Order: sequence, then C-alpha cells, then structure tokens
Amino acid sequence: MSHIAKITLEINNLEILKLACERLGLEFMENQQTYKWYGTWIGDTPLPEGISIHDLGKCDHAIRVPGAQYEIGIVKRDRKYILLWDFWNQGGLELKLGKNAGRLKQAYTIERVRKEARLKGHRICEQKTDKGIRLVLRV
Amino acid sequence: MKEIIIDVSDDGEVKIETRGFTGKSCIQESQFLKDLLGKEISQQLTPAYYSTNQKEKVKKHLPLCG
Repeated sequence: MSHIAKITLEINNLEILKLACERLGLEFMENQQTYKWYGTWIGDTPLPEGISIHDLGKCDHAIRVPGAQYEIGIVKRDRKYILLWDFWNQGGLELKLGKNAGRLKQAYTIERVRKEARLKGHRICEQKTDKGIRLVLRV
Repeated sequence: MKEIIIDVSDDGEVKIETRGFTGKSCIQESQFLKDLLGKEISQQLTPAYYSTNQKEKVKKHLPLCG
C-alpha cells in the first residue's frame, strides 16, 4: 500500500457520459436544449459554480430517466460538463439515481477508468462491494 | 504485484488506493487516473511511500567448478 487519494469528479467526456447512460438504462438526448424540472427556483440549495438562475431549465443535451418525471440537463462550461437536475421527490430522479445523482457519477467513473485501462493495456476487474463498486487495475 | 484500486461509492465518491508501489512511483503511476477523473481533494501517504527502492543486493556465486 502506498497512498490513498480522494477525488472530486469532473465530467469532461461526453462519449463516456453516453456509455454511463447506457450502463444504467438511461436515454441520452443529444442536442435537447431544455430539461424537465419544477420550473421555478426556490433557492433551497446553492447553484453549481458558473450557473445562474437564468440558466436553469436550459441545456446543451439532456438525459431521460425511465420512470422519472424530471430530466437531467447537461450544460457545457469551458471543457467540462455540469449536470443540472431538480431533486424534488416527485420528480423521481433521486429515487432512481441516488443522492446527487451518485449512481450516474459512479457509472461515469467506471466507464472512464475502463476505457483508459483498455488504452493502456492494463488488466481490470470489477467487483461489487457494500458501498459501491471496486475496480482493480493491474499495472 | 502493482495494483491501483478504485472504489466508487453509490453516492459517486471516488477513492484511489495504490498497492505494491514503493517510493514516489505510486503518485506518478496513478496520476493519469486523477487527471482523467477530476481534482484530488485529499491524499494520505502510507508507510510504503517512504521506503526507497534500493533493495539489498545479493551476490550469487555459481558453483562452476565441482
């Protein structure tokens, strides 16, 4: 064992995000410019960095989640993508994807690492754990 | 065996752990993952990090004659 690092995820690859959607059975809506949400910001949570109230409801692409009434908006900012969604219970997104759309972030991370491992020729194996998914990369 | 273990929790948290590396190579060899995924928010070095790679050299004498 040598070191342990914690990472905050940045989504910067749309192709990987599409693979993550496939993995979870979500529908990637390319070039869909709006996403379904409550429609009015009630100020109960801080907005993501680089996003103003006027940006809400607008997006570059969107994700449809089967069984959920609301959708996820994907907004491009510089070289990264910001996910916008309304977590109100009745919208159904949190129920399907977990808090902060954690399962979508998890799927993105897994697909990103798998792709890079393939490119570098590293062996990779995936295991289910109590808290999530573990990837073991042999280098 | 050198391994990089990536734990991705159901709430999206990513933890990367290196095993089997000595010295600073673990930081270099796992850097590509950090670059891919985002920003590193914390790092905890473990004892293997402080060990150098200079293992004691063992001279082997082959019995060539008799």
